Amino acid sequence: MRIVACVKAAPEDSDIAVKPDRTLDLSRAQWKVGSYDLNAVEAARQVADQVGGEVIGLSVGSEGWSGSKLRKDVLSRGLDSLVVVPGDPDADSFQTASALAAAVGELGGCDLVLLGAGSSDRYAQQVGNQLGALLGRPTLNQVDAITVDGDHVRVERLLEDGVQVVDVPLPAVLSLTSGINTPRIAGMKDILAAGKKPVSEVAAAMPGASARVASLLAPEQVDRGRVVVEGDPAETAQQLAQFLTTL
Amino acid sequence: MTEAWIVVHDLDGGNALARSARALAERVVAVSVGAGGLADADLTLTVDAAPGALVEAYAQPVAALLAARGATVVAFAGDVRSRLLAGQVAAHLGVGPTNVAGVVSTAPLVVTRLAYGGLAVATDEITAPVAVLVLEPGAVTPSDVAGQGAVEPVDATPTAGLTLVETRPKGGEQVDLTAAKRVVGVGRGFAAEADLDLARAVANRLGAELACSRPISEGVGWMPAERYLGVSGATIKPDVYLAIGISGQIQHLVGVNHAKVIVAINKDKNAPIFQQADFGVVGDLYQVLPALVDAL
Repeated sequence: MRIVACVKAAPEDSDIAVKPDRTLDLSRAQWKVGSYDLNAVEAARQVADQVGGEVIGLSVGSEGWSGSKLRKDVLSRGLDSLVVVPGDPDADSFQTASALAAAVGELGGCDLVLLGAGSSDRYAQQVGNQLGALLGRPTLNQVDAITVDGDHVRVERLLEDGVQVVDVPLPAVLSLTSGINTPRIAGMKDILAAGKKPVSEVAAAMPGASARVASLLAPEQVDRGRVVVEGDPAETAQQLAQFLTTL
Repeated sequence: MTEAWIVVHDLDGGNALARSARALAERVVAVSVGAGGLADADLTLTVDAAPGALVEAYAQPVAALLAARGATVVAFAGDVRSRLLAGQVAAHLGVGPTNVAGVVSTAPLVVTRLAYGGLAVATDEITAPVAVLVLEPGAVTPSDVAGQGAVEPVDATPTAGLTLVETRPKGGEQVDLTAAKRVVGVGRGFAAEADLDLARAVANRLGAELACSRPISEGVGWMPAERYLGVSGATIKPDVYLAIGISGQIQHLVGVNHAKVIVAINKDKNAPIFQQADFGVVGDLYQVLPALVDAL
């Protein structure tokens, strides 16, 4: 089975500094693969190991992939190869889905496309939903379990009020929950092997954006009391209890 | 007269969305997939969903209907099914959907959305010919203006492919943290699952619901996913939120920072949670919690 796992390189949130005027300073931020994307890599690897096949990582935006460290990191976690589509990593979900759809075509198609719950920067949770529509394939979000059964997969889909069991004919596009699996930590052998795995580029056109970003600012802080007590546990607990009872 | 469209698949959620959509336009027109007419919309185009069909199978005909009727603003609710419908309908219309955290203006249509796990808020002016919006909870203030409630049945053929085998109720208890007045959240400061009883004792004294940070739910699995707070979990607005052994990563804070009062217990006095707390106790939770139960 040929499986595509979509991943995105995005600036690491914890490295992003907020300037006094509430604008963001991304200059020191390392590029990182979103933690939800790793669920897609892990699920793809598990399916491929189970039924045989290859796992291709597919990513839009080349900026974050310029260093070998990040490429090795994601390749060491279960991808057989990585394909990067040059383009704006700040693209919206329709732009990204359009580029991915074109790239899947360039790659000669695949049986299954897996995506994480959402990217770490935009978290729109929509790239998979849109990609499936653009490819004209059966599509589901919030997939919490996947079992391959011949020409289809049986999935469990987590809703607010229940679990749907759905048979999905292949090829299909599935977006996963963040709890579907625990992504593996790569061992030294995996990391060494990752350096030898192929990384290539595929060009794909992107449509225009659906919105103009007028501003990107840290939210205004809620004014909090910020009283902090420290010392004897019995005493501080007493102070906390008093504070809670005055509310 | 300005017009906002909504696409819905259940009656209660649909009427709630209709009231919200009235903040976007004077007239609200709904496309209802399998849920019948909405009292709170002015007009509902009703699609009879085939028994057992997934509502998402109607994305393409719904998009065609919206295009034929000239819809320029289309809103969806934020539940799992509506989100998939929104993404698919938008793709068929050739645009990207926007997750709306707030509406700045309707002409031009300017909305806000969260970015970088809640670290930032982006203000977007929608430039697409059709604005497809997913309204997050609390994005707009619902109107109490009554709808006209007219109904017009329309025909639609679902796209074949997905087969619903069964729908099971969720295992475990159902919980609605969004309605809780008091919430106690636990994080990685707890060393073992059994130790959560310390927090349960505090929650019982306070009459609070117990919740957690993501690692407690999806990392070690000590609590169900419904109880985790944060950007990909629940967003709460209680009167009091008590964070115990939670460092205060932005991804967690975005789920709780609408609490009226935030209280924190953490052994690391440099933990970011203290910057966001009204009252903080620096100390070992294993000593502070039993003392707190006694003191309450």
